[in-house]
Amino acid sequence: MANAASGMAVHDDCKLKFLELKAKRTYRFIVFKIEEKQKQVVVEKLGEPSQSYDDFTASLPADECRYAVYDFDFVTAENCQKSRIFFIAWSPDTSRVRSKMIYASSKDRFKRELDGIQVELQATDPTEMGLDVIRSRAN
Amino acid sequence: MPELAETYACVPSTERGRGILISGDPKSNKVLYTNGRSVIILDLNNPLNVSVYGEHAYPATVARFSPNGEWVASADVSGTVRIWGAYNDHVLKKEFKVLSGRIDDLQWSPDGMRIVACGDGKGKSLVRAFMWDSGTNVGEFDGHSRRVLSCAFKPTRPFRIVTCGEDFLVNFYEGPPFKFKQSHRDHANFVNCVRYSPDGSKFISVSSDKKGIIFDGKTAEKIGELSSEDPHKGSIYAASWSPEGKQVLTVSADKTAKVWDISEDGSGKLKKTLTCSGSGGVDDMLVGCRWQNDHLVTVSLGGTISIFSASNLEKSPLQLSGHMKNITSLAVLKSDPKCVLSSSYDGLIVKWVQGLGYSGKLQRKENSQIKCFAAAEEEIVTSGFDNKIWRISLHGDQCGDGDSVDIGSQPKDLSLALLSPELALVTTDSGVVMLRCTKVVSTINLGFAVTASVVAPDGSEAIVGGQDGKLHVFCIVGDSLKEEAVLEKHRGAITVIRYSPDFSMFASGDANREAIVWDRVSREVKLKNMLYHTARINCLAWSPNNSMVATGSLDTCVIIYEVDKPASSRMTIKGAHLGGVYALAFTDEHSVVSSGEDACVRVWKLTPQ
Repeated sequence: MANAASGMAVHDDCKLKFLELKAKRTYRFIVFKIEEKQKQVVVEKLGEPSQSYDDFTASLPADECRYAVYDFDFVTAENCQKSRIFFIAWSPDTSRVRSKMIYASSKDRFKRELDGIQVELQATDPTEMGLDVIRSRAN
Repeated sequence: MPELAETYACVPSTERGRGILISGDPKSNKVLYTNGRSVIILDLNNPLNVSVYGEHAYPATVARFSPNGEWVASADVSGTVRIWGAYNDHVLKKEFKVLSGRIDDLQWSPDGMRIVACGDGKGKSLVRAFMWDSGTNVGEFDGHSRRVLSCAFKPTRPFRIVTCGEDFLVNFYEGPPFKFKQSHRDHANFVNCVRYSPDGSKFISVSSDKKGIIFDGKTAEKIGELSSEDPHKGSIYAASWSPEGKQVLTVSADKTAKVWDISEDGSGKLKKTLTCSGSGGVDDMLVGCRWQNDHLVTVSLGGTISIFSASNLEKSPLQLSGHMKNITSLAVLKSDPKCVLSSSYDGLIVKWVQGLGYSGKLQRKENSQIKCFAAAEEEIVTSGFDNKIWRISLHGDQCGDGDSVDIGSQPKDLSLALLSPELALVTTDSGVVMLRCTKVVSTINLGFAVTASVVAPDGSEAIVGGQDGKLHVFCIVGDSLKEEAVLEKHRGAITVIRYSPDFSMFASGDANREAIVWDRVSREVKLKNMLYHTARINCLAWSPNNSMVATGSLDTCVIIYEVDKPASSRMTIKGAHLGGVYALAFTDEHSVVSSGEDACVRVWKLTPQ
């Protein structure tokens, strides 16, 4: 059913937690990991609404790939409070090639499962997902 | 945010055997010239007030203000003319591909509606005149068979265009629409420049046959010549009329500029010969001139701009100079932090003083090309492409005698132990050479391809970086190196390593755009993720109080990080130097000096956040 080319299976928990983030705003961020042995995408970490963007960047490993969803709150030029849901494909240059390939080929299928992502971003090092980049993509 | 405080401009790029054309603003005292891909607008009253336009994709050749002073038309070697606003942001109005080869001269018509451009067009289109806003042709220009070096538009009606070129001809066209009328073959060599007097009654053509001929402005009849008593002894490269139209300034390869009185009947009598003091070599040949209101500006082959006063020809001129080529290193003298020394690869070292600008060239006895250079208290050490290292003592502005030593292979990087400057470490392709004064004390083959190195201020330690991105820390024991540690974090060849002034940290930059700050004692990473550049890092500098690191890169940006804050809170200077930033230095806590491929030196002031 699941193989590296057509995408890993998605554990039901991922979709449930994502819907909770979207509707009830119970989490600030969710980090997903691909478990190769079980051949599926599972939830690795959940972030409290009180946590900040820096806590989120700290929870991503520096040399392994991950998928992440972050709920970004900001104030627009007209003084409106808005929020955007970001999907970040974290694929650092220092990670192993096999890891990058598996995450890249499974990304499309995974994204289709998460309905409601507003902005997608791929980051290959911490500078590509800096707060200024997020802010500029939010508009 | 960093702000530009001062720019020390480059000088016009010159070529031996050809004149250059500089032009000026009819309203203010600004002159325009080109260097590389930039067009520089220099204010003669205040040489520190410089504006640079860097939008050409090819080396720019000539630029002119429009008669109303609002627009500038500039041309480059690909045959493209760009018309842009003279003030503020230099917004582009129009761009036209005018000729198929390089454009040598460009003139506006006096009403600002038409532009004539001439140059080298592979036989077919050597001259073209077009409307400034639509680009439609306004004439047929045949009659030249070789490169057309200069053109002029008659400043009063009826409109005429004169062109001159390498085929020794001076051609006269009537119009609009412009058509060939007459041709003159009075010169015996390339005709370098042709210019109309401001009232349109005469025009003068000057040539490499050392003569200048004056023609009637309307009929193109030859009416006179510049007098042959005390003429120029070399090719005359350029001419410029005075604003009243009674005098002409000519410059020549015989290193003098002459002012001639032109009488009504068209003959020219020599009024004064102006010479500039110089070393007397080829660099003093004068290649460009411009009579701008009260100022007579002449440019020499070496790039020195001399400004004479027209009302007082006896006064010695104000001389400005700068770099013509890529500035590869900068050094700030500890004894005088306002003074900056910059060196370019062609061997020129220039001294700049903050607040004043150009302060002088360092005359060295040997003018070889410089690859890297370092300055300590009283001496400068330079390494060249000829495998030699020179130590030259520095007394104020003069260079004393220097001693040289040949190190056997080409030096790649040079570093001085600041507290005991006799020790210098030079890296070559495969190893390092240690020098005490000018003696090679040891040549150590390290076995890996070496790219950058630095020696500690007290001479006890050295760090060598390799092509593979590894940093090797060595302890200097007597005259040999003992390897202490190998640090692996970089993912590209190391390009620069620098110790902090208090010796507690060091920072390294690599070709993969990353910079890392390390703690020296523990050799642990102190600040990482400094990955904000988009091309290789060329240079790195520490602030005197060890709190900031600045990195300059080929992507033309300078980024300043604070060591105590995370890398993401950085200050970026975008577009600091067209073509890449090659050298950086801090002069005090809040000022950074940078230099790069565009041959300019810029001083930036950092306002604390």
